[in-house]
Amino acid sequence: MIKIALKDLRIFFKDKRLVLLTFTIPIALISLFAFAFGGMWTNDDDEKITLLISDLDHSEASKKTISLLDSLKGIELIPSKLKEAQAAIRKGNESFVLVINQGFSEAMNSGTKLPLELQYDQANDMEVAILQQSLLPTLSTLPFKLIDSSKMMANPPREMANNPNPMHALPPAAIPNDIKMTPLIIPTQDANIGLIQAVAGTSVLMLLFSVVGFGMGLIDERQEGTLKRLYYAPINPINVLYGKMICVNIISLMQMIVMFVFTSVAFGLDIITPLPGLMVTIVATSFTCSAFGLFLASIAQSRQQVQGLSTLIILVMSALGGSMIPIFIMPALMQKAAVISLNYWSIQSFFDVFWRNLSVTNPTFLLHIGILLLMGLVLNVIAIIFFKKNYTTLA
Amino acid sequence: MIEVKNLSKKYKNQEALKGISFTINEGEFYGLLGPNGAGKSTTISILSTITHADGGTATIGGFDVKKDTTAVKRIIGIVPQEIALYEELTAFENLQFFGSLYQVPRSELTTRIDELLNLFGLFDRKNDRIATYSGGMKRRINIAAALLHRPKIVFLDEPTVGIDPQSRNLIFEVLAKLHKEGLTIVYTTHYMEEAERFCDRIGIIDEGKIIAEGTLQELKSAGKMKESIQVQFTNGDEAQLAALNSFWNDSKQNENSTLFYSENVQADLPKLISKCNALGLDISQIDIQKINLESIFMDLTGKQLRD
Repeated sequence: MIKIALKDLRIFFKDKRLVLLTFTIPIALISLFAFAFGGMWTNDDDEKITLLISDLDHSEASKKTISLLDSLKGIELIPSKLKEAQAAIRKGNESFVLVINQGFSEAMNSGTKLPLELQYDQANDMEVAILQQSLLPTLSTLPFKLIDSSKMMANPPREMANNPNPMHALPPAAIPNDIKMTPLIIPTQDANIGLIQAVAGTSVLMLLFSVVGFGMGLIDERQEGTLKRLYYAPINPINVLYGKMICVNIISLMQMIVMFVFTSVAFGLDIITPLPGLMVTIVATSFTCSAFGLFLASIAQSRQQVQGLSTLIILVMSALGGSMIPIFIMPALMQKAAVISLNYWSIQSFFDVFWRNLSVTNPTFLLHIGILLLMGLVLNVIAIIFFKKNYTTLA
Repeated sequence: MIEVKNLSKKYKNQEALKGISFTINEGEFYGLLGPNGAGKSTTISILSTITHADGGTATIGGFDVKKDTTAVKRIIGIVPQEIALYEELTAFENLQFFGSLYQVPRSELTTRIDELLNLFGLFDRKNDRIATYSGGMKRRINIAAALLHRPKIVFLDEPTVGIDPQSRNLIFEVLAKLHKEGLTIVYTTHYMEEAERFCDRIGIIDEGKIIAEGTLQELKSAGKMKESIQVQFTNGDEAQLAALNSFWNDSKQNENSTLFYSENVQADLPKLISKCNALGLDISQIDIQKINLESIFMDLTGKQLRD
């Protein structure tokens, strides 16, 4: 028994890559999740929420308000023209813009409701809620911080003058405990943002895991000798890889289609209206995920290595890219890092289709799809290079 | 049909082939004999174009194995040492797939598959998954898969390793039939009885070199080997044994037996027994050691063929 255990340990430690993966996977995941969740509740500069602000009032009061908001620790304020801000939100590059509408100064002086408006992407509901929590305490006390108190006391509103506690008599409108909330992206269908997040995130994650299985087929063929037999035939060895690519792409495509049809039937997701965009996204996602599977198979030397590598890369990519954790709750650094994940671009494309209602010709959608396809192309090229290096000489 | 000149191949620091040369004629059944690691599989890999030699040349049917790979592949069939079939597919599906790689027209391929399945006695199992086949049945399909495109030359790399006698005999019958039909067969094995039984000519390879080549008869007569009669006695003193040894010019006294070399065992054996009786020596055991590939190999290399 001990001898068998020692033999197995010897075999295990002989595979250096497997040993490395065995220990790096848990370390990488612990680090990732600790960073993601641990970072949520801290107030480091890195985790500031980016808030675009558009000043349409151009008054002294509005400038003071901007200055005041800029001093808030958890918010990074970026002044922006309203149209540019709205375009950035529609593209998915930003989540919200705080608009200081005309009449802000007057409202401030008269004690009426402040014309503040938060235009936002409803896809980032949770981030909006966090922002509201950060803004409300400051906005609630704006009148007291900005209005010249001597002027107010010299000519107080009637309610204040007759009230033993003047602050309690301040008109409710003067305290903007609510901001006008305007979702900028209004889905035409009865879309459920949670459902879209779930189906987009899960489908990419599951597809990645299933293509790994097909990638392993290549390793099996090498180990079982059928690959050599294919090379005996009058075909170019690289055609073996291309054949695998075609097969994996077809099955990936079928898997994605089945997943969305199921979601449509079971959960009522409308897949007919955005069908062109959906199909483009499915094709691009299948292409890139398939390339990932073949990339793994071409660089790994054994099934164990594929399993180890795939677990590590898929989980990290999925966590970073938004398949497992909504991106906006991650620290800023990780949000920036998300762009290296193919999950990110696929999920963004699905959001373009289902949430932002972008057409297939929309530049933002095309950019997301383009990056996704480019990733697939790069992975395929790497797979071809490694296939030639590792697979074409078998004897 | 096959011409190999000074073929060499090195893997890292190990020289797998050290400049081997041989020629195989059309319709010949050629045996490439050698122990494991001698260079047989490397030779087949190079001839089948999937491995490039570091030096030397090889042509098959006039085509260079390095330059005219597609042309070479079209005229050869390879039966690999391992069972290279898809276990999840049926025998028919496997054969259909491998046949399609050689662009055999579909209708012709179907006929050919049925023909081969009949030849190998597996027609009734054609729609069963390979995973359900016995080792011997898999070996038969493994061979059939190399014959689908009617190659002119077939390389069989240890095709009978680990199979049941029934399958082995069937494979032998098929090979004999194919040979009779004019197929050139290159057969690698370390079972010398198989080589002795089928091969027109034999090349003995060891440590990357062809150490002997020819027909079995040529190999037998090329060496200095003689057949021998090994005799053990229950009695006998030194004087009796000395008298016997002087009667037999070419003998060797071992610890428990005496070895009598002979040019013609059949004729010499009665003479030897008569002389023993005359000298009063009681024979307890007689072994006749004929020259075979095993002994030739042993003589050439000093080691067993199955080492």
